[in-house]
Amino acid sequence: MTQLVKINVTVNGVPYEREVEPRLLLSDFIRHDLKLTGTHVGCEHGLCGACTILFDGQSVRSCIMFAVMADGHKIETVESLGTPEHLHPLQEAFMEKHALQCGFCTPGFLMTLVDYLGDNKNPTDEEIREAIDGNYCRCTGYENIVEAVKLAAKKMAAHS
Amino acid sequence: MAERVFHKSILRNEDPQILAGKAQYLDDIELPGMLYAAFKRSDYAHARLKSIDVSEAKALPGVIGVYTAEDFGDLVKPGPLQVPPPTAIKGATYSSRTLMPIAKDKVRYSGEPVAVVIAESRYIAEDACDYIYPDFEPLDAVIDLEKALQPGATLVHEDLPSNEAAHVVQERGNYAEAAAKADVVIKKKIYVDRVAAAALENRGIVINWDEKAQMMTIWCGTQSPITLRNATASRMGLFENQVRVITPFTGGGFGPKINTSMPDDVLLTELAVRLNRPIKWYEDRRENFLATTSERDQVHYAEIALTKDGKILGFKDVFYHNSGAYDPYMMTVPLNTQTHTVSNYNIPNFYTEITMVFTNEMVVTPVRGAGRPQGVFVMERMIDAAARELKMDVAEIRRVNLIQPDAYPVSTGIIGQDFVEGVLDSGDYPTALAKVMSMIDYKKFREEIQPKARAEGKHLGIGICTFTEGTGVGPYEGAKITVGGNGKVSVATGVATQGQAHYTSFAQIAAEQLGVEVKDVKVITGDTGAFAWGAGTFASRGATVAGTAIHLAAVKVKDKALKLASKILETPESELELVGGYVQVADIPGKKISLGELASMANPMRGTFPPGAEPGLEAVAYYGPPYGATGAGCMAMILDVDAETMKPKIERLVIVHDCGIPINPMVVEGQVHGGIQMGIGNAFFEKVFYDETGQLLTASFMDYLFPQATDMPPKIEMGHIETPSPLNPLGIKGVGEAGAIPTPAAFTQALEDALYDTGVEIMESNLSPSKVYSYVMKAKGA
Amino acid sequence: MKLEGEHVFNGPREDVWKMFYDPAILASAVPGMDKLDVVAENVYEGVMNVRIGPVSGKFQGKLTLTDVVEPENLTLTVDGKGAPGYGKGVGKVNFIQNPDGTTTLKYDGDMNIGGALASVGQRMIDSVAKSMIRSAFETLDKALEARLAAKKTGTEVNFTPPTQAEFATDVAKDMVGGFTKVPELRLILYILPVVTILVILALVLGK
Repeated sequence: MTQLVKINVTVNGVPYEREVEPRLLLSDFIRHDLKLTGTHVGCEHGLCGACTILFDGQSVRSCIMFAVMADGHKIETVESLGTPEHLHPLQEAFMEKHALQCGFCTPGFLMTLVDYLGDNKNPTDEEIREAIDGNYCRCTGYENIVEAVKLAAKKMAAHS
Repeated sequence: MAERVFHKSILRNEDPQILAGKAQYLDDIELPGMLYAAFKRSDYAHARLKSIDVSEAKALPGVIGVYTAEDFGDLVKPGPLQVPPPTAIKGATYSSRTLMPIAKDKVRYSGEPVAVVIAESRYIAEDACDYIYPDFEPLDAVIDLEKALQPGATLVHEDLPSNEAAHVVQERGNYAEAAAKADVVIKKKIYVDRVAAAALENRGIVINWDEKAQMMTIWCGTQSPITLRNATASRMGLFENQVRVITPFTGGGFGPKINTSMPDDVLLTELAVRLNRPIKWYEDRRENFLATTSERDQVHYAEIALTKDGKILGFKDVFYHNSGAYDPYMMTVPLNTQTHTVSNYNIPNFYTEITMVFTNEMVVTPVRGAGRPQGVFVMERMIDAAARELKMDVAEIRRVNLIQPDAYPVSTGIIGQDFVEGVLDSGDYPTALAKVMSMIDYKKFREEIQPKARAEGKHLGIGICTFTEGTGVGPYEGAKITVGGNGKVSVATGVATQGQAHYTSFAQIAAEQLGVEVKDVKVITGDTGAFAWGAGTFASRGATVAGTAIHLAAVKVKDKALKLASKILETPESELELVGGYVQVADIPGKKISLGELASMANPMRGTFPPGAEPGLEAVAYYGPPYGATGAGCMAMILDVDAETMKPKIERLVIVHDCGIPINPMVVEGQVHGGIQMGIGNAFFEKVFYDETGQLLTASFMDYLFPQATDMPPKIEMGHIETPSPLNPLGIKGVGEAGAIPTPAAFTQALEDALYDTGVEIMESNLSPSKVYSYVMKAKGA
Repeated sequence: MKLEGEHVFNGPREDVWKMFYDPAILASAVPGMDKLDVVAENVYEGVMNVRIGPVSGKFQGKLTLTDVVEPENLTLTVDGKGAPGYGKGVGKVNFIQNPDGTTTLKYDGDMNIGGALASVGQRMIDSVAKSMIRSAFETLDKALEARLAAKKTGTEVNFTPPTQAEFATDVAKDMVGGFTKVPELRLILYILPVVTILVILALVLGK
């Protein structure tokens, strides 16, 4: 067993102090140590995007980062967005446009998009496709996701 | 009258939970004392396993045990067949060589497990695999389907005389006679290569053995929970009700998750009992490519015989189907190819011959489409070749050969995967073709858009093709519907869900009968503790077969509710209706009783219980179709190809689709979208590639190109035709695989049309820019 | 996979030939190499420890020299296996004495790889192989220079093999284009063992 390293991470506003192996992937830390299983792991090599989280506000792939790299940083996961009873406008838009089927990739899309829509209030179809090009979905063919993003942009503009 | 909820786009019940990250998928399950498994897999595709040294791995801290074939005794034998052999087909021959749970003396595909490690963490288990040293004596790998059948070829299974796994010939009419009479006979060799299902969630399993209760619970994202339970129980000497299989939320299935008696479930159930601790195994992506089944490679020698005005007289298809190293799923895939080759065309003479071949590659079992895309690809490519030869328009040659709407039911004379003769139950193929042509404005494209583009040096091509989708096959499914004292409705069925919206569409079917809100129907799929009978989710059959069973059960519950309410409200049943969670008297507002109260009264605690009565507002029903319902459609696609880089851009994609009466049109469209995405991947991006030594060279998403958002057309334009299936009371047909079936054929046709000036002919799917380039160079004689 | 190429050593053919027969020199060019033993005439066995993140374990390589015509040419067979997979190659190596006193080494070989090396690493293996071979030749250039200097002065050979870090930096420099395009951690972790087997190969083929 390798020596454990103490880290301090704030996840969804809650501070955690944990001891971890240096090689522990950030995705595994979030899912198995913190039990925040909304973040999914689809490929473990940084391509599918299912594990996307916000790291100091930026969307990143948690499966190609180590937990120790998060020491002193702030993380948001899909659990930070909304609850089943009170969904975030982006989540509402996904539901209304049938932008998810099996839902395994969905948290990654949501976290990519909350970051993206923060900077791009009114994206075109092409811009949306570019924005989600790093997130794989096997069920939906992406079209309804594009529609959901457009709807979400409207909803979020109305909320702000 | 209650508001109709069937045949309506209703938002999904399951979405809030999934969207909030609260849905439980397999790898989210953690149990106290849980151990983790990892498999040591063979690096060789074909080798003798002479010995295996696990001592170093065993000594690692945190490793509980390392197990090889010799630790499993009698368990190390070929597993059960998942699908029966094709004995229903006259003259069929087959050799069944099913999967071994762990390699004993020989490995037959790269990725075959040779040892399993159980450790305190997944990290440690995977570490330990690197300290296991198998001693292999490499053998030549059998990769090429035709070479595999030559005399003297290396044998995958040395107890067999050859690598032939099965052979089936089916014929209707007489092709040879038809060909003799034909004006034109065209012969082509056609390839379809291998693709992965690549569900975003990998395979996995969690097992808990409760020694005190003598009860095993298995969580698994299987498409066939009942089969998994039954196989586990009989293997372990338990009763079926001592094993409960629960399918949690599952991140896509697309076929391979149907498989049971795989190394993981066989070995890990045994170890969970032996170690008396829960065990979890969750595949990584590389393992998923290596050791989860995949599909599609076939080599076809096809012949089409026509009159000079394009009428098809006969079709012959002799093909080789790659079974991989074992054949646990028998002939489902190539039989589907046979039944879907002639699909919706009126071809009186049809000869089709399968030779299924063992190779040193991963086992082949269905992947979304399951043999159908190959059949459609072969037929559509041959019709295109004929159109070219006869200088006919590609749409016209299809039109003159389609089965007409007054012909149903149409017997095909070909026995399918369900071992009954295929019958087309209903449809309207000419309308689908006409609708697609009008939606894509075919005439304008040919007369104005394409000539103009060509004059400008652009390479714009169109593909148009038709297809059928055999769906909703037997044997049967069942459902149990219970109204609770809370007034809500529980629906339990044996099929499992991998994202198809069953929690909503099944709820709609029940709600339609019981007059409750869709959100008040809780659907349980794939929990053998809730419903213990059924076959599984495959062949686009969940909605059709289980859906019909749910409808029948709901009708029974409705009858019970009316009967009981009639007594209580002292009103004849004919004057009662179920609305808003109540049984009410149609014309008297306020004279009503809630379903919840009725449910409580249906279970009397005291007093008398009439003979023959059944307690509870509850009913079970089963449904088994005589044969499958056949969906169909037509697709057109316009491609703009960069003639230098060979990069295609899909400018337009139109599909007209018929799945009978859609339960939830929104969900149906979503299914078609997803299928098309996979079809586009199969046509141009995706390819599972084995080199000549049987090494898989595409075991990550860097090499296996998954279609991304920018690879898709800007919009999938969809039209619907609804020809109700006469086979079930709801008129429904399946839809799950529809999009994947015609897409490679339409794509390849459009590609050829776009590159018209090169004269290229592409009789192959799973293309890439470099592949297309090499075809073009060949056509140019370079 | 086909591997062919050539390298010019700044020294006479006999010295180059002798250098390749010194297992200590060969071992020094391979990072993580525990040992390289002569187990029989013209048969070498090497063991390396690789332990990087999720990829860890021993890598064993066996090199056999056949058809040896000193100092002109030989055939090499390499057979390496370990946790990240296996590699098997055969190569023909020619040593050509040039008029200017240098030696041209030409190699021409075929190699099969399997396991994670093939299924995950194949897309980079070509460029990694080339880079590795060049890196190894550079090390051997220095070793040859030191040997020739020692021979001249009659003193001890003064040669410090590169450290593993220096070695990795070298490879990384060559690979930088490929690395930055691939946002994949595990692959990078796989590459190091890939690199190790290719070092063996480079050396073998470089003989």
